Amino acid sequence: MTARLLPFALLAALLWAMAALHLLPLAQWPAWPLDPARMDIPQILLGFGLMPRGVVALLAGAGLGLSGAILQAVLRNPVADPTTLGISAGAQLALVIATMLAPSLLDGGRWPVAMTGAGLAAGLVLAIGARRGFAPVTMVIAGMLVGMTASAVATAMTLARGEYLLSLVIWNGGSLVQGDWSGVRVLAGVLAFGAVASALLARPLRVLSLGAEGASGLGLNVAGVRLLAVGVAVVLAGAVSAELGLIAFVGLAAPALARTMGAASIPRLLALSPLIGALILSVCDGLVLLVADHVGEMFPTGALTGLIGGPLLIWLLPRLRGSTPPGTERAEGPAPRRDRPAPLLAGMALALVIAALVLVWIGRVPGGWAVLDAESAAAFLPMRLPRLIAAAAAGASLAIAGAILQRLTANPLASPEVLGVSGGAAMGYAGVVYLAAAPTAAMLMMGTMAGGAVTLAMVAAFVSRREMPAERVLLAGIAVSALAAAVLSAAMAAGDARSFQILGWLSGSSSAVTMPGALALATLAAVLWAGALAARRWLAVLPLGAGIAGGLGLPLRRARLLLIALAGMATGAATVLVGPLSFVGLMAPHLARRLGLARPGDHVAGAALIGAGLMLAADFGARMAGFPYDLPLGLFASLIGAPWLIWLMTRPPR
Amino acid sequence: MSLFSIRDLTVDVPDRRLLHGLTLDLPPGRMTALIGHNGSGKSTLLKVLARQIAPSGGTVAFEDRPLPGWHARDYARRLAFLPQHPPPAEGMTVRELVALGRYPWHGALGRFGPGDHDAVARAMDECGMTPFAGQLVDTLSGGERQRAWLAMMVAQQAGTLLLDEPISALDIAHQVEVLALVRRMCHKAGRSAVIVLHEVNMAARFCDHVVALKGGHMALQGDPAGLMRPDALEHIYGLPMQVLTRPDGSPVAVPA
Repeated sequence: MTARLLPFALLAALLWAMAALHLLPLAQWPAWPLDPARMDIPQILLGFGLMPRGVVALLAGAGLGLSGAILQAVLRNPVADPTTLGISAGAQLALVIATMLAPSLLDGGRWPVAMTGAGLAAGLVLAIGARRGFAPVTMVIAGMLVGMTASAVATAMTLARGEYLLSLVIWNGGSLVQGDWSGVRVLAGVLAFGAVASALLARPLRVLSLGAEGASGLGLNVAGVRLLAVGVAVVLAGAVSAELGLIAFVGLAAPALARTMGAASIPRLLALSPLIGALILSVCDGLVLLVADHVGEMFPTGALTGLIGGPLLIWLLPRLRGSTPPGTERAEGPAPRRDRPAPLLAGMALALVIAALVLVWIGRVPGGWAVLDAESAAAFLPMRLPRLIAAAAAGASLAIAGAILQRLTANPLASPEVLGVSGGAAMGYAGVVYLAAAPTAAMLMMGTMAGGAVTLAMVAAFVSRREMPAERVLLAGIAVSALAAAVLSAAMAAGDARSFQILGWLSGSSSAVTMPGALALATLAAVLWAGALAARRWLAVLPLGAGIAGGLGLPLRRARLLLIALAGMATGAATVLVGPLSFVGLMAPHLARRLGLARPGDHVAGAALIGAGLMLAADFGARMAGFPYDLPLGLFASLIGAPWLIWLMTRPPR
Repeated sequence: MSLFSIRDLTVDVPDRRLLHGLTLDLPPGRMTALIGHNGSGKSTLLKVLARQIAPSGGTVAFEDRPLPGWHARDYARRLAFLPQHPPPAEGMTVRELVALGRYPWHGALGRFGPGDHDAVARAMDECGMTPFAGQLVDTLSGGERQRAWLAMMVAQQAGTLLLDEPISALDIAHQVEVLALVRRMCHKAGRSAVIVLHEVNMAARFCDHVVALKGGHMALQGDPAGLMRPDALEHIYGLPMQVLTRPDGSPVAVPA
């Protein structure tokens, strides 16, 4: 089966050789050992740029492949990889913080800092997973939450210090450009360590593949092996992050490809994945070099791995065999049910109105807090009212979309964010920014909504296959999210004014909302609410699965399409305002359900009210916390939402 | 008129054929058992009848009309289907679950009228679920939950019930209780039922008609007496079987 890899190895070598020969004919190549003193500029570019770059691509790819294979083996989770578990994002956040707040920490190399961040993120995700028996979907959701929160914070800090923007964005995208052989030395050392460690771990991991109970029955120290294996994976991924930045998907794709090539046993998986990872990254980097030769260095290689990896994963999905033992996904016990939800809903609506009124009238002034008098209220009202209305409407829309999706997929963790809808919406926004000469607000909104709907339709194509397990659906969503992230970072690496517009929007801001825009959004939210209420019988039947729904004569196809269109519009419209990074769509329906709102109509209504309230709170916080400057709204919402969700997930199932 | 008339039915999945040109008529007004070894295609056949999967070849007609000619809601008014593992119906009361059976009649937006309330009440009564009406489905025991799902099917007011291994997760007392309920539903109210069963003695005891599949082919069709013979059972299950006679004269099969 390794013979099938040969063409790719040749392709990678060919691409690199083309770039190298384009730089310098073979006859003029520098002699070994390299001595910069006796080399001219092209020779230095080759000997200290392209050559280490080619080797780094191999080493980093192998490291990521091995890291992903170890994580997938130890967690028995075909979706695990340094990106989906938030490890890379943790390293990224640590580096961003260090770059901005304590640059002296980086004197000893980016290594220790990145490793600390990666380790902390992995620890948090594992702590969540440990409570749920490392159930795969829970782990990935936890990883995405940690990863998205880390990215949100990193984005906020990047925005606050614009002068670092470009280098950080390029680093985030994973550039393989090398200036000397130091990166090669570091990565080679780490990879050697990883190879030895995984050779030692291969047999225990094989025993662990029987499941924790079976393995401890055979006398294995399950916790110890897990800790060691994850530690090795974190070191590998953290080292690559420190040297090169975020390179998504290699760690996910390499073991998946290895498995489709017939690497069934864990030792073979561990042996083959680094090989495949090295080839993936080399081919990607070769393509980037090819483009760079002709039109200049356009985008970082990490963006390309996402571009290739997303579709690859989508293609792989139907071929992946679920390796999840049934019954490992547990929700946190049955949610309560309220027999008479009307008082609660009325109370929530009242609280929302009161909160909105209060928020209009109080605010911060230099040196303290103030309640507006009538005169300044008249002056401030036209400024504050639109953003309050818009924020509440966006929150309600996202919450309705989340409630619909959770019922449609019968998965309490589905949400516009997790299912990649927000990522698709972001691509739609970026597409309009780049393709239209002078994009109007309406065009941006249309683009965002179309992006969200198209993505949702793609994901729904997976859901609609019968008995599609939740992990596949999430894989599809993650694939789309990663694709979106790759496209965006490729777009932003261009680094012109449009990048700032997109970056600013990504974190979400409500400060530029006009009254007509706010009212349009509010109308849309009301229409969506009405639509969801009209479809409440579908929403009652659909969670029971395709078998029951089909047996009752429900028009499955039409119902799914309509509901998906509804959720896609809601997400798209809200995403225009708050950006893709908020957890309201996941949080509000979940919270409504925990409050005992079980019937579809109550559930949707409660989720909408909670979503609106959360977004109002986020808006207030975003306005006040950084006074006199506005912080991004979506960012603030995710800073409220993510810790709450993480707390929720760390609670033991009852 | 036959309930289902199946002609040359084949079902393929990638790399495998699950049903090989099955031709078969199922009688109306009877309780029919579909039996066979694991992987014999009995559940596949039931899912084709329930229109859960589309056949790869051949035709199936329900009440003399080909399956593709049925509108989804009309079909659901005539025929109710219960999958093998009914979902937990989290957060739903028994009454709400049973009321879902009215969907084929009122649709997505139609009014839930007095007729619907009446049908739900009668369905819960018929299945003995009235005392549990306000309880959450996920708090019921296995047997009660299965009866709640049966009540939902009754509320559908369909003349035909398709059940996929309805007793596989139940203890022996609840197995008997559920099958007796289905039998009552058939014989008292003139319904037809097609049930996938693992347990051959249960099939012989409760059903009027037996269809046995083996490796995607038909192995035997007839009344339970024809099934409960050592040679027939050995043909179906590929294992020597012995048929004992109970004091009341009814046969019991055990591995020889």
